[in-house]
Amino acid sequence: MEKPRLDRRGFLKGAAVAGGATIAVEAPALAQTTPAQPKAPGPSAAQMAAETEHPGEGEHLTTEKTGSDFMVDVCKTLNIDFMAACPGSTFRGFQESFINYGKNTKPEWLTCMHEEVSVGMAHGYAKVAGKPMAAMVHGTVGTQHAAMAIYNAWCDRVPIIMFTASAGPVEDRRPGIEWFHSVQDGAATVRDFTKWDDYPWSLQSFAESTVRAYQLATAQPQAPVLITADGKLQEMELSKAANAQLSIPKLNHPTQASADPDALKDLAKMLVAAENPVIFADRYARSQKGMDDLVKLAEALQAPVIDQQNRMNMPTTHYLCQSSRGGPLLAQSDFVLSLEPQDIYGTLNKMTDQLERKTGSKIKKTTKVASIGTHDLMVKANYQDFQRYNATDLQITADPEASMPWLIEAVLREVGDRKSAFDARGEKMRAAYKNFANNARKAGALQWDSSPIGGARLFAELWEVVKNEDWAFVTPNAYSGNWQHKLWPMEKHYQYIGSSGGSGVGYEPVGALGAALAHKQAGGRLPIAVIGDGNFNMAPHTMWTAAHHSIPYLAIIQNNRAYHQEVMHIQRMANRHNRGVESGVIGTTMTDPNIDYARLAEGYGAVGIGPITDPKDLNAAFKKGVAAVKAGQPVLIDVVMQPRG
Amino acid sequence: MRVSTLLAAALLISAPAFAQQSGDVANGKNHFDNDGCWQCHGYGGQGAALTGPRVARTALTFDQFLNQLRHPANAMPPFEAPIVPDATARDIYAYLESMPKPPEAKDIPMLYATKGK
Repeated sequence: MEKPRLDRRGFLKGAAVAGGATIAVEAPALAQTTPAQPKAPGPSAAQMAAETEHPGEGEHLTTEKTGSDFMVDVCKTLNIDFMAACPGSTFRGFQESFINYGKNTKPEWLTCMHEEVSVGMAHGYAKVAGKPMAAMVHGTVGTQHAAMAIYNAWCDRVPIIMFTASAGPVEDRRPGIEWFHSVQDGAATVRDFTKWDDYPWSLQSFAESTVRAYQLATAQPQAPVLITADGKLQEMELSKAANAQLSIPKLNHPTQASADPDALKDLAKMLVAAENPVIFADRYARSQKGMDDLVKLAEALQAPVIDQQNRMNMPTTHYLCQSSRGGPLLAQSDFVLSLEPQDIYGTLNKMTDQLERKTGSKIKKTTKVASIGTHDLMVKANYQDFQRYNATDLQITADPEASMPWLIEAVLREVGDRKSAFDARGEKMRAAYKNFANNARKAGALQWDSSPIGGARLFAELWEVVKNEDWAFVTPNAYSGNWQHKLWPMEKHYQYIGSSGGSGVGYEPVGALGAALAHKQAGGRLPIAVIGDGNFNMAPHTMWTAAHHSIPYLAIIQNNRAYHQEVMHIQRMANRHNRGVESGVIGTTMTDPNIDYARLAEGYGAVGIGPITDPKDLNAAFKKGVAAVKAGQPVLIDVVMQPRG
Repeated sequence: MRVSTLLAAALLISAPAFAQQSGDVANGKNHFDNDGCWQCHGYGGQGAALTGPRVARTALTFDQFLNQLRHPANAMPPFEAPIVPDATARDIYAYLESMPKPPEAKDIPMLYATKGK
């Protein structure tokens, strides 16, 4: 059956009539200053030519199979479940192939309202799912929108498979917008914080580059990668013969680099010999096994672990989890082991930001420092995320999670007659651990009845409602007072996924959305996001994406009606200049009018509750919210809170 | 309500004589609320992780308090005399001393229902 075709001659004729009508409407205004015109103007010479001359032969664009269909074939071999995107014409062929040729499954297309959401939700997703999802961003402008989210994922060492596009060669570009959205080197904008990128100029090259990109993204240190899908390649006809000549390389998941056995032996000797060793875990654990192995190492040595909470590294219920007293432990330490550190200098040193700038070490001069990590394998020159240099006594460049079983074995071989000393150290740790919860309770009591509401009350009330659920936090904890780590039993790797990486504001709502998607996929866990109001306002439309794609999670807005970190910075500057702090709220607070977040959520199709100002109302709000999440809905609860949790 | 009234009365009796005599609690509250103290220490002076310790019913003497204000330890921004004169500092101190005693943790079962460690 022949498909109906658009009649180009008829279309042009219609356009000419419409154009004439526009001129006729504008004519009365001209009549005041110009002589009367004869009725309607006739067609221009160009219009006459278009109507009467034989149209030239155009490029025939209708085809059964295109290059972008093959691109979808490539993506399907990578076992990617989701592709997040805010629509953009530079990838129109690619998108159409995904949703029609690819049947919109594996990957399923997710509609986002900003490229920062597309990339940011892939960031949160990967940390829960343990594998990357994909994000597609528009040429030039979309990449620019996505840049901060890519930087966050880079700093957080999280893999994302990203695609962008360009409109193709000059003779194929429509004048105007397609030029604005075309670029010679689309990845240049974000190359400083992507692990690898490529602009393949053939479909075979696209296949090989995309598989290579996936492998590179998931090898430690993990990071985002970016492939540019050329517009011409997307929309070109792909004949059966040409398709038959293409091949897609097999994806081979790389194993991670384990440490040099001799270096691990040296490290084991140092750890066993130390009187007061301390283990710092930064972006160490990628899995439950990583957590379990760290417990084994800590127990073998009876050594305290400071979880720096950029991943879920150590169960909060274990007596060797001593994160609450990192300072005192460092001060008395004679050996520090840092696992996948990003900033050893910052861990071991302090700097005041007062009228005077003072720096000082947190450790003794004689304290030895060792590290196992991959951070130095991915350092670039421009952005300063590599932090200040800090010399170590033993630096092992390897993946600490992959190396941990061998380190444990090496330590156990070395323990010998040190076991009784270790047991004595363990008893001290047990005693210290008992105080942590009591200290947290005392601190929580101080703010128990306060309004605006305090963090301890919020998390204690929340626990009452969710304690029998399979819950998981999908946002960082720092600005809410770390109360979940202080009060809740957190023992599973997926229960906490750390921070944004680059501290780019806006990560919390978008990372939470992606993490919630992964939790849904994992079997209906209850994702909990405690999102600062400043963060939420960067991407409130995440609630729409959640509602549209049925991604349930409980979003609690920690509403202090300010960019509070900045309030304090301005306050500090004003004090340095002896000008008083009263004006510090200008440009840093979000009052007058107060924002109604519950109504905002409802407008996006989610359940909105609040604002809650009385702590006694938290229980009912949480019960209602959790019930709605369990029914499959995204929920926002607006809680008016103290400036800091 | 009755408990609160009794508590407030007890606090008035037990508050340090120095603060009662030397500081204007109402003026201190005004400055606490307007000079940014609450932004780090909370509206109730309860303190918060990351920003500042508890200051309600502070255990510091006035001299120690004034020293902390002028030459703060840790992250607190310094407040010098042109911004917070000694007399104003005395009023703020009096307000902090007058703040109600918070509940004891042991009296809040919900705090014991969480981690249980």
